[in-house]
Amino acid sequence: MRALGQSCGVILREPASQLDPRVRRLWALEWGLVAVGAAVLTAGIAVPMALAENRLAALVVALVGGGVTLLLVGLAVLQPRLLYRRFGYEITDLGLYVARGSFWRRWQVVPHARIQTVDTKRGPLERALRLVSVAVTTASAKGGTDIPGLDPLVADALVQELAHQAGINEGT
Amino acid sequence: MSERSSEPSGRLHPLAVLVFARKRLGASILPILVIAFTWRGGFALPVLGAIVAVGLAVLVLEWRRFTYRIEAGRLVIERGVLRHTTRVVPLDRIRGVDLQATWLHRVLGLVQVEVEAAAGGSSAAELTLAAVSAQEGERLRAALLSAGAKEIATDDPRTALVLYRATPRLLVAGGLTSGRYILAPLAVIGVIANFADDLPSALGDRLLSEAADRVPTEVLGLSLLVVGGVFLALALAAAGSLLTDWSFELTDDGDRLVAQRGLLTRRIVAIDRSRVRGFDLLDSPLRRAFGLVGMRVVAAGVAGGRPGRTALAPVIASENARVLARALDPLAMPDAPLDRHPKAALPRRLTRAVVLPAMFGVVAIGLQLWLPAAILFALGLVGVLVGLDRYRQLGHHFDGRRLAVREGSLSRRWTSLDPRAIVSYAIQRSPFQARSGLCTIVLHLGQGAGSRRVLDCSEEQAAVLLAELDVPLFEPFIPRSPRLAAAAS
Repeated sequence: MRALGQSCGVILREPASQLDPRVRRLWALEWGLVAVGAAVLTAGIAVPMALAENRLAALVVALVGGGVTLLLVGLAVLQPRLLYRRFGYEITDLGLYVARGSFWRRWQVVPHARIQTVDTKRGPLERALRLVSVAVTTASAKGGTDIPGLDPLVADALVQELAHQAGINEGT
Repeated sequence: MSERSSEPSGRLHPLAVLVFARKRLGASILPILVIAFTWRGGFALPVLGAIVAVGLAVLVLEWRRFTYRIEAGRLVIERGVLRHTTRVVPLDRIRGVDLQATWLHRVLGLVQVEVEAAAGGSSAAELTLAAVSAQEGERLRAALLSAGAKEIATDDPRTALVLYRATPRLLVAGGLTSGRYILAPLAVIGVIANFADDLPSALGDRLLSEAADRVPTEVLGLSLLVVGGVFLALALAAAGSLLTDWSFELTDDGDRLVAQRGLLTRRIVAIDRSRVRGFDLLDSPLRRAFGLVGMRVVAAGVAGGRPGRTALAPVIASENARVLARALDPLAMPDAPLDRHPKAALPRRLTRAVVLPAMFGVVAIGLQLWLPAAILFALGLVGVLVGLDRYRQLGHHFDGRRLAVREGSLSRRWTSLDPRAIVSYAIQRSPFQARSGLCTIVLHLGQGAGSRRVLDCSEEQAAVLLAELDVPLFEPFIPRSPRLAAAAS
């Protein structure tokens, strides 16, 4: 028996590169926003109930909503650290290798020859933090992968490299 | 382009108007009926006549505006009464051409042509020519599909080799042993029961009590009823199988596998041999007992659309399935023993099979509901058997050219794959798997062929298998070990 979540039997060695450290802030912000949303929703339901003299229902809603909000805040604090440590990627001559997840772990290998498109995406939060995510698609809908939270310069180089290796001409 | 590649525009068969009419009627029959039944007086007939006349005019116009042609290596379809649309599909993008004939088509001697084309990325678009003559359908299929491949010298249908033909006996056996057909009548009963719920309650209740009054109460009558019901279910299952797969025939005409089937609606599916990546053998405990399996192709760009397009043989004796497998792919090894997965996978299969009945069983005992508890206990026992078998069925084997994977018990699937079909690899490990040193390998196949997995193999097995599947790709990732060095050499 081994401890949960520890790197145990080695199937593939870990990838060489890590994400940009700022990605932790991005994930924390994302979870934080969800938590704020949950808090607002809870208040939006509980306060009118309390005003309508429905004390018990208001209390139940506040407790459940508060619990969920606390859980989300906990996730916002913990998840980014855990995932950042356990997210790696690497490009070799033949393929893209991405490993992610601490408890439920997933290693993906996509051969360059099978890559159909390489996209970069920047959401509003990512733009605010100057981060870029790169998504790779294949002929199989579920066979692609993505790398979130890269420095724009690193992402550019990565896209260039992947597109070059995959034989995708730019601008087409 | 040469003059051969261009031809005059074709129209659908004039009788296509009838096919259009039948398709439209489904949607518009309700308002027509409402009008017919609600309008009293002399209005109903003229109004109905006007509706039919206008509808017919629209359909004829629709038929007149629908043209198709093959020119300069492209299929061009123009259509539309109010809004004119033109669709152009390069022939080399066409993945498959199916011919389908519903009973109406068959009465009129027509076929419906369904063209499936790759439309950028992984999605597929379907173009339908609702009704052309059977001859024209065959010609179109040949013309549309021969573009990608080299020109076929002779199109002699007699050279086609019959690989499999379903006899009625096989189909009956298939229907009786198939969960799908056995359960179909139950679904029908469910639908009827739902309808009964919607009826005015007094009526529903009266029907029910009426039925209850007529149910015999003595043992003999009751058992007769049960026996009759079982017979009815079995007959329906056999009929369902006969209806969909009547005179199923799989032929090999060199470049393509052609499967045709169906009693009322006849469907012809052609699969390019160059797209075949492997095949599945599927069975259930019942089918295993009778030595029957079903066979499906794993092919790029074929699985999309309706289910059943991938069927190579709906039901076939297992020894014949092995012969068929070798005929399709000489490198396949349906008899090769599989590498078993470690014992640690057994508890996982068992817990998965037993945990639900156990949980509900505890609740039932807690609530002192003895009968449900007993039923759940029995279910749990069945779960143990299923879990044991699920573990026994797990396995994989790679001989350097073909990968064989097997999993499942109640619906078991054995797959033979060409590793060149694999688009990307993933290894997954849950905390529970990590504790037992197991992992699951997922092989994505692409273009609608889905994915196959090697469930709960040991970490060492995973490393060896991946290293063997693609030596140069995985060489930099897999840590050195003596066993791997041996496997790589």
